[in-house]
Amino acid sequence: MKAILTDITKCIGCFKCVKACKETYDLPGDYPRRWTQNDGLSALNWTSIVIKPDDHFIRKQCRHCIEPACVSVCPVGALKKTKEGPVIYDNDKCMGCRYCMMACPYGIPRYDWDQRIPYIRKCIMCYDRIKNGQQPACTAACPEEATIFGERDELIAIARQRILDNPGKYYQDKIWGEHEVGGTCVLYLSDIDLSFLSYDRKLDNEPLPHTTEAAMKAVPPVFAGMGAAMIGLHWVIGRRMKREQENKPKGGSE
Amino acid sequence: MDRVKIFKLILWIVTGLGLSAAIARFAFGLGVTTNLSDTTPWGFWIGFDVVSGVALAAGGFVITATVYIMRKEEFHPIVKPAVLTAFLGYIAVIVGLLFDLGLPWNIWHPVVQWQHHSALFEVAWCVMLYTTVLALEFSPVPLEETSRYAKIRSFLMRYRLVFVILGIMLSTLHQSSLGSLFLIMPFKLHPLWYTPILPIMFFISAIALGLMMVTFESLFTSWLYRRKAETPLLAKLGKAAVWVIAIYALVRFIDLGARGALGYIFAGSFESIMFIVEASMVIIIPLILLSIPRTRHSLKGLWAASLLVVLGIVFNRINVAGLMMTSATGSHYVPSLSEILISASVVSAAVLAFLFAVEHFKVWERKPIDPEAKVEKLPEFDRASNTWLGRPEVAARIKYSLAFVLAVAVGLMFWPFDRLESRGIQDTPVVKARGGEKLIINGNRNFDLVLFKHKMHEDTLGGKESCVKCHHMNIPGDKESGCWQCHADMNKYTDAFRHDWHASPSGGNLGCVKCHEPDQPKMALTASECNECHKDLIPPGAAIKVEDYTAPGYVDAMHGSCVECHKEKAAALDKPKLPQCTTCHDQEVSDSINQAIAAKHEGRKSPWVTMPEIEEN
Repeated sequence: MKAILTDITKCIGCFKCVKACKETYDLPGDYPRRWTQNDGLSALNWTSIVIKPDDHFIRKQCRHCIEPACVSVCPVGALKKTKEGPVIYDNDKCMGCRYCMMACPYGIPRYDWDQRIPYIRKCIMCYDRIKNGQQPACTAACPEEATIFGERDELIAIARQRILDNPGKYYQDKIWGEHEVGGTCVLYLSDIDLSFLSYDRKLDNEPLPHTTEAAMKAVPPVFAGMGAAMIGLHWVIGRRMKREQENKPKGGSE
Repeated sequence: MDRVKIFKLILWIVTGLGLSAAIARFAFGLGVTTNLSDTTPWGFWIGFDVVSGVALAAGGFVITATVYIMRKEEFHPIVKPAVLTAFLGYIAVIVGLLFDLGLPWNIWHPVVQWQHHSALFEVAWCVMLYTTVLALEFSPVPLEETSRYAKIRSFLMRYRLVFVILGIMLSTLHQSSLGSLFLIMPFKLHPLWYTPILPIMFFISAIALGLMMVTFESLFTSWLYRRKAETPLLAKLGKAAVWVIAIYALVRFIDLGARGALGYIFAGSFESIMFIVEASMVIIIPLILLSIPRTRHSLKGLWAASLLVVLGIVFNRINVAGLMMTSATGSHYVPSLSEILISASVVSAAVLAFLFAVEHFKVWERKPIDPEAKVEKLPEFDRASNTWLGRPEVAARIKYSLAFVLAVAVGLMFWPFDRLESRGIQDTPVVKARGGEKLIINGNRNFDLVLFKHKMHEDTLGGKESCVKCHHMNIPGDKESGCWQCHADMNKYTDAFRHDWHASPSGGNLGCVKCHEPDQPKMALTASECNECHKDLIPPGAAIKVEDYTAPGYVDAMHGSCVECHKEKAAALDKPKLPQCTTCHDQEVSDSINQAIAAKHEGRKSPWVTMPEIEEN
């Protein structure tokens, strides 16, 4: 599975990745709108750089979770996790319910709010380029190798090596995205706390789709069980009423 | 005028206003008509129209189960209105959803694109099937025995039990699955509402709501048409509701206890207040009202209890569907006027359809007296237009149409078209500093509030033209730049002086004035000298001169203390080479100095420079 590793300590905040993304997908210029968030992402900005005090530049983009919440909630299969790693989106299948936006723990999918025919927009890890053996536009554009592309296992190994080589440099010696919500394909190394990237400050390692799975598995038995219970109840009560009627002396209610 | 007429007129006007908002919604898109945003993608339409709407229509399956499964024949008079309410409720849900969906013409996609792992997919299927079942359940009413569709009617009547059981099965599923929709958001939904048994909670509360909605609807229509309310029957429903609400309360609080979330109730936060309001509306007050037999059998008691439960559970649904996520997402959402109008008009249209049905079909044992259908009434004359409007029902139709069309026109006229130009940050115009020239701001977004001198910043930065230096720096959603975006040297590590080491013992952001002059820009130049605090920094009689000691970097400090002395000695001893670089530094070192300088110019952290040991001359 392909992945991206972004090392916050290496990023110099040149915005070349953002520019490359916009050029690749021919995204027009963006300006702040009522519905945009404070992080620079929008339907026209699929990756952005969040600036934090003390020269920290954090590139924000879709995390391409291994078990993505957005894919699992989509009622029409418009979002798809590919075997190469990227989570991609199909315009033609979408019906615009925005459940994916509700379900994403990182708040990544954005909407074409100003369009009459709106679609979901987010980073697709340059799926077409990856299929052709190229690397995504953003990682190719990075002059400092702060954000790199490769196999997920290899990138994790590289990250481990960096942590080993620089003890105490990285925050809690943690690879962000290695385990949270079952692991993501966009990994971060950082010297500051990156928990602000997700809504919940402490994301569980349990993949989010598992939360709904139990309820969804209960659907067929509940459906059948309720039917059986109702038929049974109807029959039992009917029989009891009949008996009561028989036992009653003549001249009862009916 | 008759209260039915007035009520209908109001409903037509609201429907008309809603239609104007609906036209705007489809003409201009979701962004400018709603207050939905990237952080609040689901708003009032989902919370009220869909999630609450389905729950409000729960009366259908609850009452059919009571009558046809439990065989409580005494409730038969309220079956038809309950099924009708449910049917119209589901139609309203689907229509409401059409406004919310970004691509409403793709609403049929779940039919062909199966996604069994999605709770919404399941809800979609259930709602679709149940609406069909409800249509089949209700259609014997309009297809009256004497009509030519009598055969269809008798066919439907024969399989009624099948429809009833199917309806209950489907309702069980989707009433609970609406709760499953939010299971995937443990990171957003407040722990007072988020629980793995959310589906069970939704199902039980839907039953309670079903009972109370039927009660409310019966009370309301009896008030509207001046009929006698079925109070003894409604009291029995109330008694059943006591049990259901008690079970709901039990499950709710046991669940809170088991998850250790009881403490949040008394946390005093926004969420805890909302929880207490919700619990009083749904559980505490109705339980008291309905368990006292005297209030249960009184109209007032029933009115109060049913209204509280209906509004309370709608409130619960809205809470779960987004309101209680706002503190996690940090968003601020109030539904726009268009959103409220469209929701209200969908409800109004459903109520109008309900009134039409009860006036024209045998929904109740006795049709209400239609105020417009009094045959003995004379044709109406409209004094304003000087024309005969025709028979009373025709006259009424003309009036309602006029009200409706006018409402659409007025709605379009007053639609806030300036929203269309919502370029840039419309919501945060630059204003004069509120309440004088000083503001308390969350300058570094770390919620350590500081007193900010707006006027002083404006003056020092160049008057009125300087606004853009802090405001509108093209940072989406941010009203103004953070302090650190200009005060870039703030909190920065320098070679000799670490600002944060000094800042935190001085009291964080409140301690700035301990070193910096209160009325001056906060930077290294205006900081007090080190020796003002560190009195023992320079021992008496030291050779180092410290007159201008304003926290220099290590390099500057070393240079300052050595080179000045070297210069003096160079003059005194006539050794011109003494103050030159090479006296102290050898050639290798200049590279590291160059590196340090280069790094500084790139704006990156300069590495620590180790000075070579100075050779004795």
